[in-house]
Amino acid sequence: MTWKRDIVRSEVLAILKPHAQGSVALESHLVADLGIDSLGVMEVVADLEDKFKLHIPDDALREVNTVNDVVAAIEIRLKNDGRLEE
Amino acid sequence: MSGTFSPRTVVQAIEEAAKSTTTGFRFIDENSAAEPFFTHGGIERASARFGGALQSLGLVKGDRVALILPDNTDFVFAFLGALRAGVVPVPIYPPTGLGKLAGYLENTLHIVAKSGAKVLVTSGEIRRILGTVQSKAPDLKTVADVETLKAMREELKPVKVGLDDTCFLQFTSGSTSRPKGVTLTHANLAENVHAIMDLGLGVRNSVDSGVSWLPLYHDMGLIGFVIAPLYHVNSVTFLPPLLFLKRPARWLETLTRQRGTVSFGPNFAYALCVKRIKDHEMEGLDLSSWRVAGCGAEPIRAENLNAFAEKFARVGFDRKAFISCYGMAESTLAVSFSALGQGVVTDPVKSEALWGERKALPAAGEAEGTAAIVQCGKAFPRHDIAVFAEDDAESTSPLPERTVGELRLRGPSVMVGYFGEAELTREAFAGGWLKTGDIGYLADGNVHICGRSKEVIIVNGRNYYPQDLEWEAGGVEGVRKGNVIAFGTMKPSHDRERVIIALETGTPEGPARETLKGEVRRAVQQAVGLTVDDVVPLDIGVLPKTSSGKLQRAKTRELYENGELMGRSSARQVDTVDTVKEVVKSQLGYFRHAILGGLTGRKEE
Repeated sequence: MTWKRDIVRSEVLAILKPHAQGSVALESHLVADLGIDSLGVMEVVADLEDKFKLHIPDDALREVNTVNDVVAAIEIRLKNDGRLEE
Repeated sequence: MSGTFSPRTVVQAIEEAAKSTTTGFRFIDENSAAEPFFTHGGIERASARFGGALQSLGLVKGDRVALILPDNTDFVFAFLGALRAGVVPVPIYPPTGLGKLAGYLENTLHIVAKSGAKVLVTSGEIRRILGTVQSKAPDLKTVADVETLKAMREELKPVKVGLDDTCFLQFTSGSTSRPKGVTLTHANLAENVHAIMDLGLGVRNSVDSGVSWLPLYHDMGLIGFVIAPLYHVNSVTFLPPLLFLKRPARWLETLTRQRGTVSFGPNFAYALCVKRIKDHEMEGLDLSSWRVAGCGAEPIRAENLNAFAEKFARVGFDRKAFISCYGMAESTLAVSFSALGQGVVTDPVKSEALWGERKALPAAGEAEGTAAIVQCGKAFPRHDIAVFAEDDAESTSPLPERTVGELRLRGPSVMVGYFGEAELTREAFAGGWLKTGDIGYLADGNVHICGRSKEVIIVNGRNYYPQDLEWEAGGVEGVRKGNVIAFGTMKPSHDRERVIIALETGTPEGPARETLKGEVRRAVQQAVGLTVDDVVPLDIGVLPKTSSGKLQRAKTRELYENGELMGRSSARQVDTVDTVKEVVKSQLGYFRHAILGGLTGRKEE
């Protein structure tokens, strides 16, 4: 199955929503704005892996700060798998 | 059984276990279906090779080697290899991510320099992150890549290791922000392992098998699941800590598959399983083999463990498998365990008297004003636990049963001291007893913990434990559970201690927040009988936290006293280096830091 960019974005927002305090925007910082703690981040990662059928290595999390970073991390992996529609 | 106990070094334990061809260590890796299994014979050989490699770097008996190895397999063999060469390993937690590099490097440098390590063994990636650490630690000669050491085929030159030799240094954080190196001898390890395995858990050699996701650079994972099973020739299956946090079901699946009989976790691990494991993940679980489910390393909440027992009863979990554990690195690992086969036992006491007169007076089960204190069992034979007034500098007058005071320890598991810290070592003891800093009481010789001494709030001569206030406030609708800090302050007027509760909330500023303040006051008043002087609702992310996400009570008090708490913006704008410096002030903080560090790291700005 392939993914369109806008769908990736809306799915990421939908996955983050139940973990977030307040509304989720692409610029939101996962910790400072959305109040997601370290344990919450691991849960989000598990949900993202299940939704997009991919693996997010622990190292990759070091680069993730905002919702945009999450989207980028998903897109690059989908793209490498040839599963991202341009 | 204690009559037949004859202490052995960890090195002897490794060598004697090597005869076994059926038991050993299994390592699960998230990215691979293969689960490499090393028999105890294989462990002996792999550790000998590693020991030889360390010797070839010029390390001799008594030298220290720092280990920063996120991979469980690498860590286990490097650690055991060092022991066999008589070299003293110094486990250090892996980096906390690029965003928190400054704080991480500072702590790591402190540990490396303080331990006087000549060699640091790490992965290629971490080696790059560490950069210039070598130039700042005067004794550090070599930063070695673990892959290079693994490729070496050097023979281990035999080294005589005795019971009184230092086995390893366990760096831990206490009341000071700088980690301190607990010096543990082989005798400490032999004694504590005997206490844990023979006296506490009744472990059957080569029969019981462990499953652990605990970080190996923390005492519970390292001593409990690497060292102790070597003495008793038990099989253990290791999962990466982050895999457990990502998918808690993997812990229970592994227990099911391996027919595991012994596994431990802090309170939060059991709570996480209740929260995160979905119905479809329950299918196929069979926890009926799980004989000992240990809970320790952070305050135990009976309601969390009860919820776990209820949820997993239908897949064979026996609530009587729970044991409540009290321990600390300064006493090797374990101080006391509740009795096997009883499950979580609580002591219902009158909270008024507990906080007020410092007496634990038995109360009727569920009555109003009752606190249920978890019972953590008795001192092990040849070890003593007693309660003293905190100002009893020479430990001259032990307090009677059911009187609250500081728990102090004596016995062969207690450390000789902090490495290279004569002053801190002196401060850690009072008249030959180790001061734990934990407040509690004994009842029929059983340990009951109420809190940590430095945080106690004293109002009108009565003591209140902030954890209790925070727990009650956290139950109020609209308060962000787990993001509440209670503290006492003598400011502004110095006439009496005022009680402040700062909390994070998603409730917008305005009348709704005023209502919230009232509800928090009411909840605390009803539960603890204490009037809160000020409730400070804050936006999300405003409360100061360590890099591991642990709330900083002292820092919050300081901000409040300086009038800076209300005007504070969320964590994003705050100097992160500053908070990282305060890193991990408690054993739990350290623990969380060790496994969670860096996952939500933000870049230095």
